[in-house]
Amino acid sequence: MSSETGHSEDGRGGRGSRSGGGAGPRGARDAGGGGKRFFFRRRKVCRFCMDKIDYIDYKDVKLISSFAPERGKILPRRMFGTCAEHQRKLTLAIKRARHIALLPFAAD
Amino acid sequence: MSDRVYEILFIADPNLGEPEVDALTAQVQGFVEKEGGRIQKTEKWGKKRLAYSVGRHREGYYVLVVAEGGGALVHEVERRLRVMDGVVRYLAVRVDDELRRAERRKARRTADEEKRRARRGAGPREPEGVQP
Repeated sequence: MSSETGHSEDGRGGRGSRSGGGAGPRGARDAGGGGKRFFFRRRKVCRFCMDKIDYIDYKDVKLISSFAPERGKILPRRMFGTCAEHQRKLTLAIKRARHIALLPFAAD
Repeated sequence: MSDRVYEILFIADPNLGEPEVDALTAQVQGFVEKEGGRIQKTEKWGKKRLAYSVGRHREGYYVLVVAEGGGALVHEVERRLRVMDGVVRYLAVRVDDELRRAERRKARRTADEEKRRARRGAGPREPEGVQP
């Protein structure tokens, strides 16, 4: 145990205050030292807005199924960056397609 | 009352032959016409695999009928479809308002683009001012 970690434990020590909690001095330093995120996220834009699709047709299985892959679950907005409006329409379209057996409810 | 447009999609029993499916389709069209509706188009998609088994079927014969008419029309058509043998499943959806909305949005977007382009053309220092 170094003197540094000892100080950070009580939080108010002049030197320790920088590393914050001091629970994991290593981890804290890594996060602080890294500064910027090294993984960097591409900005997601709604695909329907991009392609200017105003009406999401439940009959268009090819388009819709890309938003309900594998198990047939509807992908959350955070995955594809779909805007609220289009996500709503997409959801309705998927549900209609499911009813008429174009898409699965849950894959087996 | 302006007429509404409905998409009536139904799945016919895949064990039926082509003529039987045609007969079924004609029957549905007959309901529409009897209720004072008009057929806009009819599409036979043919046999497709179902995403899950309905009853004991693994595939079905899809037929789409687009009809124009009042609200009572779908009501009646749905009621009939429900009791028809050979119809595995059906879905009737009103599409006119949605399509109209989409149309309007498209018109608005093109208008906006025009306006923007005009403004850009008119503005003296816009064209290649700032480039990120």
